[in-house]
Amino acid sequence: MIPSDHFTRFYNEVFKFLEQQGEAELEAYFLAISKNQEKHILELIQTRGLEGMDEYWSHIKIEENCDMDIDRNEDRLELRMNVCPSLSKVLDNDAEPMRRYCDHCAGWIGPIMDKTGYHLVYDVIDRNQPQCVMRVFKDAAKAKEAEKDVKLLMGWPGHKV
Amino acid sequence: MSEKLRYAEGGEVHLDFHGATNTTIDFIIGRYGIEALDDIFRKVGRDVYRSIHDDLVAGDTEQLVAHWRHFFSRENCDYDIEVGSEEIILTVRHCTAWHHVAKLVGQPSAQFCDQTIRTNEAMAEGSPYAIDTEITGPGSCRQVLRKRA
Repeated sequence: MIPSDHFTRFYNEVFKFLEQQGEAELEAYFLAISKNQEKHILELIQTRGLEGMDEYWSHIKIEENCDMDIDRNEDRLELRMNVCPSLSKVLDNDAEPMRRYCDHCAGWIGPIMDKTGYHLVYDVIDRNQPQCVMRVFKDAAKAKEAEKDVKLLMGWPGHKV
Repeated sequence: MSEKLRYAEGGEVHLDFHGATNTTIDFIIGRYGIEALDDIFRKVGRDVYRSIHDDLVAGDTEQLVAHWRHFFSRENCDYDIEVGSEEIILTVRHCTAWHHVAKLVGQPSAQFCDQTIRTNEAMAEGSPYAIDTEITGPGSCRQVLRKRA
């Protein structure tokens, strides 16, 4: 068993392999993971919108030991990751980190937001620092406006930046 | 918690990661074949677990045993470890990973336990030891470390 604690280091090896196969293969994998994640989050979003997302990521915050602030209002949900345990483990690793490790988060979340009619603005800030800010908007124009303040904007399959 | 462990984790555990591992196994096999999956697990065993690998190469089994105890306990598996003079046997009667995936998707990938088999082999590669993994049933196995003949 690869412990669940070490999944991210296994994930990192998978990303390195797929990057060698080409961008389309990496994107196909993000979509496969996104599909896998639907069973955990899709119904929550479809039935309860931003509140459902808040519930999902509040659970993740605990289970994945995240140092993360969650803020929700009528228009948007904001996740401010102060210390990301996933990238932290990949950096604290005897194997080499994949340089675009952070891309996977928008890679799986973006397609679910597209499917449910929400608008994702994912700021990784710096791929070498375990911090990021994710915002999900109801309104496309507000999301577009929020993109102006982003340091390193992430795209996802079907949504290039 | 053993001071020998290169990676000792605390806090909560997120068992749904095992579901993502299962998805990944099927994805890699479906697009690239079993050899590609074996190669990824080999890298996990030799590179991610380099510290355990290097200890085994040096003839030291202590970190591997500490690793098994730490993580099988964290995941609340039903297991025990017998440390003998000739071999070390990890008996897993209830693998939380396998059973969690079964709960999520019904039937785990037929290759789900390759993560254990191949990673064990890679950790022991080039060392005086071999680790043989025998799947004894759904979500149960026996992992035996012994000196190579």
